[in-house]
Amino acid sequence: MEEKIDLSRVYGPSDDVVVREIEGEIVIVPLTSGIGDLEDELFTLNETGRDIWSRIDGSRPLGAVIEDLAKDYDAPDGLVRRDVVGILQELLERRMIVERD
Amino acid sequence: MDLPSRPRPALGDNYPVAGLMRAVLEKGRAFRFEARGTSMLPLIRDGDVVTVTPLSGGEPRTGDVVAFADLGADRVRIHRIVKAGSGAYLLKGDHDPGADGLFSPEAILGLVARVERGGRTVRLGPALRSPVIARLSRSFLFTRLYRRARRAFGRREGSA
Repeated sequence: MEEKIDLSRVYGPSDDVVVREIEGEIVIVPLTSGIGDLEDELFTLNETGRDIWSRIDGSRPLGAVIEDLAKDYDAPDGLVRRDVVGILQELLERRMIVERD
Repeated sequence: MDLPSRPRPALGDNYPVAGLMRAVLEKGRAFRFEARGTSMLPLIRDGDVVTVTPLSGGEPRTGDVVAFADLGADRVRIHRIVKAGSGAYLLKGDHDPGADGLFSPEAILGLVARVERGGRTVRLGPALRSPVIARLSRSFLFTRLYRRARRAFGRREGSA
């Protein structure tokens, strides 16, 4: 089911993931099924994905994160928003990222 | 911007999993991954999917099949404790002729609780916690006995 993403809300990593940087990539192992599963549930993020992941840290609204990324990558807000929301959507569905109060 | 369209699964043969496994087990969760190699034949085959559970405060014992961090090779290995001493464990693959050497308790990450092959759980009975196999393995008798039993079983199958 598609999660509704609100740019004014704050998102951050779930407590039910283990995250490690290995060989320059972010490796995320979700524990939501009660198991750290490298066979079916392991994910890695490349350099840009890592940049996004590190900024979605539960401290700022998503809109501010997108603004920063657009500035740093010198890219239009709309393009960055589309890509960030796309990744966030998937991470939310997999419970790797959660909405913070 | 070069953004990834979606996260991607990844696991290489020599993927360093020790840190990941330790972090998952420290959260009290099990860890499931594909085992490579033949050192634990006949119980665990190359490509079997192994589930490792936390030690949960209990001390591993002689006969337990465990996951341990082989830091020299920067990888996790699955072998059997063939002797538990004071503050050290002698580890060995059932199919290996020699032992790996002595390892500290900190190197032991967790206990192997389940083995899957072709999507189905392999019924191993008490073989994952067997002091008898540990004793046989120390003298490399386990593999020799297994081979002999398989040959005998194969003959019976052929004559049936």
